[in-house]
Amino acid sequence: MNLNKIVWTVIGVIIAITLVLEFTFLADYDSHWWNSIPAFYAIYGFLCCLAIIYFAKFLAKNIVNRDIHYYD
Amino acid sequence: MIEFLTIPGVILIVGALLLPFLPEKVRSSVFLLFPLASLYVVFTAANGYSLSFEFFSYEIHAMEVDRLSRVFGIIFSITAFVAGVYAHHIKDLGQQVNALVYAGSALGVTFAGDLLTLIIFWELMAVSSTWLIWARRTKESDGAGMRYLIYHVLGGGLLLGGIILHFSETGSLAVETLTQEYTLANVLMLVGVCVNSAVIPLHTWLADAYPKATITGAVFMSAFTTKSAVYVLIRVFPGWDILIWFGAAMAIYGVVYAVICKDIREILAYHIISQVGFMVCGIGIGTEMALNGATAHAYSHILYKSLLFMGTGAVLYATGTSKLVNLGGLFKKMPYTFGLYMVGALSISGIPLFNGFISKGMTISAAGYAHVEGAQLMLLLASVGTFLSVGLKLPWFTWFDKDGNDIDVKKLPVNMYIAMSIAAFACIFYGLFPGTLYAYLPFETDYNPFTIYHFVETMQISAMTLAGFWLLKKKLAGELIIALDVDWFYRKAAPATRLVFVTWVDNFFDRVEDKILDTANFLSEKFENPMTWLNPFTDRSNKADGYSPAMDVVMSFIMLTFIVISILYFL
Repeated sequence: MNLNKIVWTVIGVIIAITLVLEFTFLADYDSHWWNSIPAFYAIYGFLCCLAIIYFAKFLAKNIVNRDIHYYD
Repeated sequence: MIEFLTIPGVILIVGALLLPFLPEKVRSSVFLLFPLASLYVVFTAANGYSLSFEFFSYEIHAMEVDRLSRVFGIIFSITAFVAGVYAHHIKDLGQQVNALVYAGSALGVTFAGDLLTLIIFWELMAVSSTWLIWARRTKESDGAGMRYLIYHVLGGGLLLGGIILHFSETGSLAVETLTQEYTLANVLMLVGVCVNSAVIPLHTWLADAYPKATITGAVFMSAFTTKSAVYVLIRVFPGWDILIWFGAAMAIYGVVYAVICKDIREILAYHIISQVGFMVCGIGIGTEMALNGATAHAYSHILYKSLLFMGTGAVLYATGTSKLVNLGGLFKKMPYTFGLYMVGALSISGIPLFNGFISKGMTISAAGYAHVEGAQLMLLLASVGTFLSVGLKLPWFTWFDKDGNDIDVKKLPVNMYIAMSIAAFACIFYGLFPGTLYAYLPFETDYNPFTIYHFVETMQISAMTLAGFWLLKKKLAGELIIALDVDWFYRKAAPATRLVFVTWVDNFFDRVEDKILDTANFLSEKFENPMTWLNPFTDRSNKADGYSPAMDVVMSFIMLTFIVISILYFL
């Protein structure tokens, strides 16, 4: 089995387990407004990850990246 | 006086003074005894224990023990020991002495019972840690060390200024909680402490200097400077609202740069800023749970961050490079280092059963309980970036990604493995038995990290971060670049600064000097022979300095007058 398959299987298994736990044990948990959104943390995590990568890439490309000898 | 030798900070500093007299063979082993002695004192000293003496008319409290200082004292002593094991193969006396003074000063700050003791250890910490940067002996480390020193002298100066003002206003030197009032004294002290805790935008010394420090020096540095400042923030500035948002902003700023950077130690250095952000945010919230969270997080952070610095230091030691672009495919050559590094990486990412889970969760939940939900979501965003940069990007591009990297790998000294194993063991131990840490926190707590909610939250976020990374990992590959930060203003603006403060000032003095010389020239020319312009109606050359009958008459007359007056006077 190649690495790609392993990674996606691990992600799938974790998400499946946590979703089952979320819907069986935490269905009526409402301490924050976002707890009414199913799988909120999975969605938030994924969006944050994309946001950080694209934002960092944007910053790097347009503002902060310089040649390694910039300060020499 | 002998009891002053039992102050943990003093034990280490006295140890540092003894080291030069020991033979090289035993020096690094004897080094380890002092942190152990300090650990013993920290554990056995009772709460409320205090040591003071008269200094002129002041009562100096050189050591005071309570729950907060004890927990920081424990972790500082443990880290000094572990880092000492990691540096056991080092023969450089300068590094050994300064590392011990540095750790001792951090302990001194922790147990300081008054602000005077605190500032003395504070400054000592800055000076001794600078050596750990300079000891690398490269052109880059020379420059970075100097910038680091200047920054800390500035920060220490602000703190000292604040302390003096505070003392003149209140007459008190006690290290105590300040009420949230933005008086000049308080602001100076806050900014001074914020320099050391790398609060943005005063953070650039950290990301600049740590990656350029020696391999073993960086391990010491990752533990002491920022965390002793966090300790002072917890003690003096708890509940200052401004810290919530600066902390949350730091947490995100640090991870964004950790994603941008392409040098493994620079990634970790930026990531310290992010982690300290969690603590600063907790301190700003200021509830008992948040302060416990900040303390616990500092404790856990020191353990796993020193482990991570040891892991990346091992890579740098073995391969001679810390640039991601040259690394990759090291898994077959350095599997144990990878395993130990990953313990730190999973800890810092807050994965269950590792110690980040028990402390990061506490801080984030504290934000939730205090209903600062904006900050809570910001900290969760920063957690995503943590796993992404330190847990995935760094190990992937160091140990995997490339097949058959033919880079030469030097054998690591055994002591490096031992030190990393101790730290990894501690990370897992506290992750499994959080009660052993919670018992030492400043406030009683019944917080239980092992809840289904907390597990679901962390695992969903981590799994989907992994998914995001896996899809976009090509975007994060190593390149030969550096990332600019606000240190640009003092590094690139150095010519402008020099223009205003050196060249212009120089020019001004040059001009003034010229004018003075011109004036002197003019006067000496004109008065060389005043007769030429006193008597312009004749073309006879009147030499003022030569003999002439007219001058003779005038001089004789003056002399005669003198004689007459003196005769009259004495009669």
